[in-house]
Amino acid sequence: MLKREPYRNRIELLQGTLDLLILQTLQWGPQHGYAISQAIRANSGDTLYVDTGSLYPALHRLERKGWIAAKWEVSEHRQRTKSYRLTATGKKQLLTEHSRWFRMVEAMARALNPRRKQA
Amino acid sequence: MSRRDDDLDEEIRQHLRMAAEDRGEEAARREFGNIQLIKEVTRDMWGWRMLERFLQDLRYAFRGMRRNPAFTLTAVLSLALGIGANTAIFSLIDALLLRSLPVHDPRSLVELIVYQNGEPIDSFSYPVVRALAEQKQIFSALAGFSGAKFNIGTGESIERTSGAWVSGEFYQTLGLQPLIGRLVAPQDDQPGAAPVAVISDDYWEAKFARDPQVIGRAILIENVAVTIVGVSPPGFSGANVGEVAEITVPLSANTQLFSEMTGRLSTGSEWLRILARPQPGISLAQVRASLRVVWPRLRNVAVDPRMPPQRRQVLLTSALDAIPGSTGWTYLRTQFRRPLLILMALVGMVLLIACANIANLLLARGEARQREIAIRLAIGASRPRLIRQLLTESVLLSSTGASVAIAFAWAASRVLVHLLSTWRGAIILDLMPDWQVFGFTAALALGTGILFGIAPALRTTAAHPSSRTRLHSFLVAAQVAVSFVLLIGAGLFVRTFENLDRIDPGFRHEGVLLVQGDLHRAINPARVPVYRDTLQQIEQLPGVVSATLAGNIPLSNAWFTVPAGVNGRTPSGESVHVYTIAPHFFETMRTPLLAGRDFTDRDDTNSVDVGIVNQAFVRCYFPDGHPLGQRVSLDRVADSGVQIVGVAGDAISQSLREPPPPTVYLPLYQRQTEFPTFVVRASGSLSRVASKLRHALQPQIPAAIQIHTLSAHLEAELVQERLLAALAAAFGVLALILAAIGLYGLLAYTVARRTAELGIRMALGADRARLIWMIVKRALWLLLCGMLAGIPVALAASRSINSMLFGLTATDPATIVLAAALLAAAALLAAYIPARRASRIDPLSALRCE
Repeated sequence: MLKREPYRNRIELLQGTLDLLILQTLQWGPQHGYAISQAIRANSGDTLYVDTGSLYPALHRLERKGWIAAKWEVSEHRQRTKSYRLTATGKKQLLTEHSRWFRMVEAMARALNPRRKQA
Repeated sequence: MSRRDDDLDEEIRQHLRMAAEDRGEEAARREFGNIQLIKEVTRDMWGWRMLERFLQDLRYAFRGMRRNPAFTLTAVLSLALGIGANTAIFSLIDALLLRSLPVHDPRSLVELIVYQNGEPIDSFSYPVVRALAEQKQIFSALAGFSGAKFNIGTGESIERTSGAWVSGEFYQTLGLQPLIGRLVAPQDDQPGAAPVAVISDDYWEAKFARDPQVIGRAILIENVAVTIVGVSPPGFSGANVGEVAEITVPLSANTQLFSEMTGRLSTGSEWLRILARPQPGISLAQVRASLRVVWPRLRNVAVDPRMPPQRRQVLLTSALDAIPGSTGWTYLRTQFRRPLLILMALVGMVLLIACANIANLLLARGEARQREIAIRLAIGASRPRLIRQLLTESVLLSSTGASVAIAFAWAASRVLVHLLSTWRGAIILDLMPDWQVFGFTAALALGTGILFGIAPALRTTAAHPSSRTRLHSFLVAAQVAVSFVLLIGAGLFVRTFENLDRIDPGFRHEGVLLVQGDLHRAINPARVPVYRDTLQQIEQLPGVVSATLAGNIPLSNAWFTVPAGVNGRTPSGESVHVYTIAPHFFETMRTPLLAGRDFTDRDDTNSVDVGIVNQAFVRCYFPDGHPLGQRVSLDRVADSGVQIVGVAGDAISQSLREPPPPTVYLPLYQRQTEFPTFVVRASGSLSRVASKLRHALQPQIPAAIQIHTLSAHLEAELVQERLLAALAAAFGVLALILAAIGLYGLLAYTVARRTAELGIRMALGADRARLIWMIVKRALWLLLCGMLAGIPVALAASRSINSMLFGLTATDPATIVLAAALLAAAALLAAYIPARRASRIDPLSALRCE
């Protein structure tokens, strides 16, 4: 029997970071879901692997929040494709998330290496 | 499938297509993971999934119900009965205890009560009502009122009609507007005001066909022309819950309608209830505080110098208080509050047992659906989602049951109210389900649905379901426990009723007719000769054995007690009951006259004052046992004393639950009495004699003649006990059957599951008796567990009903043993078929099954 809990957990673990990564990826232009996952993987030097079970729920959640918008296009092979782009609120959100992330990294580093701070 | 689902499919296909271009189809799929699950998780992000899912579950549940008609019917019917019984009892509780009067802003109304010697009394005299109505700084309006019976019309067309006496501010207090005309106003309730009447909407419809010309017309009430001034708004039938006031008359009209009963409006006649509307912005607490301040100044009004000093003292130290008055007033509330709450508990238990049975059915069905559920879990359905869906199914079942239950309850509550009505008059309650009843039923539907659905749902969807038998056994043991409690309760009520019913009242009630018809009005002023002549006339009617008159009747809720003293001692101490009777009373009632003589026609105002006492009186006042010829003086009734001329057997006075009290009988022809009743012993058809009596007496009596039987008085006395006994017994039997079915189901399942094992045992030489014992042992074990769990609950619960029992205590061992025996018998009966099946297993075919 398959359990669904692992997917859930990973979404929750990555919640903040995955959203930030998606927004970051989209700031250079509209992308498909698959392309987003590939870009994140490539940009992180194959370290961050985005699970599809997290990606699509995240995309749909961000869409609902209005940070990204989706658009359907018909490709040259007469196939419908969906691409996402960053909205104005999404851009603002990206900036806040960005600074918050760096504050967090700094704080984490300090918390994990207290002695270095004293020195 | 919605457009959005299509889009999601398309989006995932697109992802797979692109990934396949990079790494090949196989790898793309593997990488992607569980497509269905990802879809579902993604859909969760859409937000409006809850409703959609619920509708989906509902559709699925409907289909499931249709696929299993037998299961659905069983479950829905037992729920309809269970929930229906609960709703029916709740409707009565609602109508009697919870429902607000159909008046303006009922929540702000208050009822006044007065504490006399610490006892709360809800009755007030007219002067007190008038004095309180003037307290405008507290109340914007205040009304005194009481139910009444009026003789409407004249001659042959005379009709006894329910009505009400009200003080001038009655309608103002309730904030009611007339449908047409006007309502009773303060100027109508003044001495000498022309008598007016307000009729109810129903009465207007029934008697006047909604003719608007009715305003200004006169109707004959008690042979007095009274002007109809208006029709009260539809739906309102007085402030007395349980009675319907067709005709409402201001209190001051007493003077015109009952000229001979002048005392009613004077001090000391406490018969009016008070509802009041506080001034805007004054809370109940402030009202109570203000009453404490003003009452010491006002309570003089309640006192009359002619009152005995003790009574005056009680009234002058009384305290006035206010309670919420939104539900109006009814004597039924004090009488039926506890029985109704007990019935509520009983039907609640029946519903619990029914729920356990349905849970067992669901468990069995869950077993059959195990495969389906396992597959759905395997392809990615989440467990909470499946549980939600299974619960939707059970709540749908219980809701369907509940909607049938509403109709059932509507009928059942009417039957119940009908059962409560006695010779004193029908009880009329508004039983139309209101939002409280609907809310109760809806809550019950949801609650039961979850209650019987949760355990099967949890078990069916568990990854490694625990043994079904364990849960099933627990449910059955719980059923046994609840049934045991219910049966003990039923036994206590049934035996209480039997004990009361078996009491020898000291008279023979069968065949006695009581004729009432405001006789005193007809035969005023020269009463005695008229009484004699009328009695002679009655005695000559065919079918009449003997006839007499009595000022008060046993078990009629109207009694007269005074302190007594013997042999010149001042009356003091214990009160004795006083009955004023004509000759032949003991003969008619079949109460034995043990010594001395009966009253005769010559015991009138011209002869010596005499009296007859009963044995209880002799035991109390003449322990040496020579009462004849001695003198008894009765406080204020016969201060100078009467001579005892006879001793009668003991008879019940006003309560079956109390032993015959010391009683003194006085001759009616020597003492005037206000409402004498003709007591007629008849043989043969009582209804034929009754119609002959009516025919013979009606010309002399300008009022509707009411005839009922003495047996009806006894029945009325026991109406509450009979109802409780009958319903508790019915629920007890129902619980027994349900528990037996539950036990049968469990044992039958056990035998079916263990067929192979039993076959092997048999093949190895176990004899049939041993196999039967295996099954019966299991039944007895469950029985024992259930009973052990039930006993402490029963003991705790029965303590609260101790005061309602008669002739036994709540821990009556015989009742408990009887209940246990009944349960055991039912359990053995339930075990019989599975045990027999177990003993007849053919080892060969059982082994082949494997």
